[in-house]
Amino acid sequence: MAVDLETLDFDQIAKAERRRGKGSWLIMGGALVMSAVWIVPFYYMIISIFKTTPEYAQKHPLALPDGVGPLIDNAVTAWNNAKMGAGLLNSFIYGSIGGALAIFIAALAAYGLTRFDFKGRNLWFMLIFSGTVFPFQMYLIPLFFTYQELGLLNTHLGMLIFYTAICIPFPVLVLRNYMNGLSREMDEAARMDGAREWTVFSRIILPNCLGPMTATFLLQFTWIWNDLLFSTVLANKTEVRSIMAALQVFQGSYSSFGPNVIMTAAIIASLPSLILFIFLRKHFMNGMRISNVG
Amino acid sequence: MASEIKIRDLVKVYGRLPVVRGIDLDIPAGSFTVFVGPSGCGKTTTLRMIAGLESISHGDLTVDGVRMNETPSRDRGVAMVFQSYALYPHKTVRENLEFSLKLEKLPTAEINRRIDTAVEVLELDPYMDRKPEALSGGQRQRVAMGRALVREPKVFLFDEPLSNLDAKLRNQMRVEIKRLQRQLGVTTVYVTHDQVEAMTMADMIVVMRDGLVEQTGSPIDIFENPANQFVAGFIGTPQMNFIDVTIAGGTLNVPDFGVHLTMPKGRFDLAAHDGQAAVMGARPEHLVPVGHGASVETDSHFEAEIEFSEMLGNETLLFCRKGAVKFVARMQNPRMIEPGETMTFGIDTDRLNLFDKTTGETLRQPKANDI
Repeated sequence: MAVDLETLDFDQIAKAERRRGKGSWLIMGGALVMSAVWIVPFYYMIISIFKTTPEYAQKHPLALPDGVGPLIDNAVTAWNNAKMGAGLLNSFIYGSIGGALAIFIAALAAYGLTRFDFKGRNLWFMLIFSGTVFPFQMYLIPLFFTYQELGLLNTHLGMLIFYTAICIPFPVLVLRNYMNGLSREMDEAARMDGAREWTVFSRIILPNCLGPMTATFLLQFTWIWNDLLFSTVLANKTEVRSIMAALQVFQGSYSSFGPNVIMTAAIIASLPSLILFIFLRKHFMNGMRISNVG
Repeated sequence: MASEIKIRDLVKVYGRLPVVRGIDLDIPAGSFTVFVGPSGCGKTTTLRMIAGLESISHGDLTVDGVRMNETPSRDRGVAMVFQSYALYPHKTVRENLEFSLKLEKLPTAEINRRIDTAVEVLELDPYMDRKPEALSGGQRQRVAMGRALVREPKVFLFDEPLSNLDAKLRNQMRVEIKRLQRQLGVTTVYVTHDQVEAMTMADMIVVMRDGLVEQTGSPIDIFENPANQFVAGFIGTPQMNFIDVTIAGGTLNVPDFGVHLTMPKGRFDLAAHDGQAAVMGARPEHLVPVGHGASVETDSHFEAEIEFSEMLGNETLLFCRKGAVKFVARMQNPRMIEPGETMTFGIDTDRLNLFDKTTGETLRQPKANDI
């Protein structure tokens, strides 16, 4: 039974299709309220950075600022007092080098766990993965004393070692699962093509893991960047402390800085990881895909 | 260029589980040899041992007289086409082809020469800058072959290369692989579970079961003179019919069909097995509906009921029943068949097979395999 397509009202059909996809007003209302709860703090943060300290004190915290001028002053005050330059640089070093090293070592481990048949393979994996099972705070005190013993307290090296180590287990889990999905015939083909183990790893397996590697790198970078606890305890000197530890100068009962300065500092501190996410978001999304083309 | 492969007492065990139980094989230089057998018969494992992807538990593998047991696969001069093609997904077609040559550190001119040859033979030109995900199954298959080709290997190995293709493409690639092998003259070992591939492509078929070689021979030899009931049943579609008989006074007594068959001389020494129970192997085309195919001896006629039929266009398969025995016959000049219809059949005794009832081995006289 053929249908004369000319007689159909396509606009009407499209409208009906759209209507089918829409939720009710009740759900929309609920969603709006939920979003507001999330958005208000951001709103508060954004408007606060445009206020001077007296202006902040006089007005309602959520009132709009008089102008955008005070931003520069706030930024300069925050930057100088927290020595944010050093903090940002340190955090960037910890995040990028620590994160990258961790991912690379995790990739090596995942390769071994998926490509070599040895006894106790799962046991090794569980051992590595157990690193993420316990709360990280557990490591704090023993680590502090060990670092003190070894002279690693307040050193860049000490921080890098810690961040690298703590960031390994999670990528091992992700990369092991991902590499398991990569066809072993592919490595066999490479081996027959003349590749030795290292070549198989570096030129066949790694390039095919860029997605999950970028994704886990971003997550680990952000974790390192946002870490306050370990940075505060293991490195409190200006030259080695991370940006998050640096922000702590604005806290405490002797702090004379207004929330406007603190908010400005917080925004400056969160910009780099935001920018990194924007740049690498394509890889990040790709890395979240489970499947891969064989 | 072509190399000869010799396999002696080849065994593969995984822990205590034997997968290949001792294989002796001479693969002649430049031949197209097909390993065929049901799943788990050890054919792929044997191929992988030749490739160097599996260690050899026991026995010897030599290529051109050189023992290869411990040689890493990259140094064996073998190239393989995998079932999944195993192309490098992050590399373009050109990079896929180049990979081995660059690892070998060949001069650029030589790399280009080899790639150009492969591209021409396999008609890869339009896809050179594409990644594998942008290729169809058949194109990927070609690239996989190209990757093996550029290495100019001594031996080509194929591991069920056509099983991921649709039927039409499979037929096409089958012809192409065979043509390519003829053209290059490289010793080729090809693994498949598809007996049609084995029959159409092979110079030599190796039928395997349970880690052992059941029979080795040319396609026609395997088809016409199967060494045992397993090979007879495995090669040929529809399967060969097996019917119980007794050998009596130089003839075959087929009680199920109610006939006595006079066998042609020379093929079987019936006198030596007189009084013995045996199994008659008759291919569907050897049970001929009278009036629909080659006319056969009159003493072998019997009637059977057609349970149902499959009309294939150029022929019809008849699924028949005679008493408790079911068999399949092939009707060459088809007409419409009603289920339940009774037809008269003749038996083409010239090409019958006869197997020992207990061992399943053929009763054919050793020197009579000259068909």
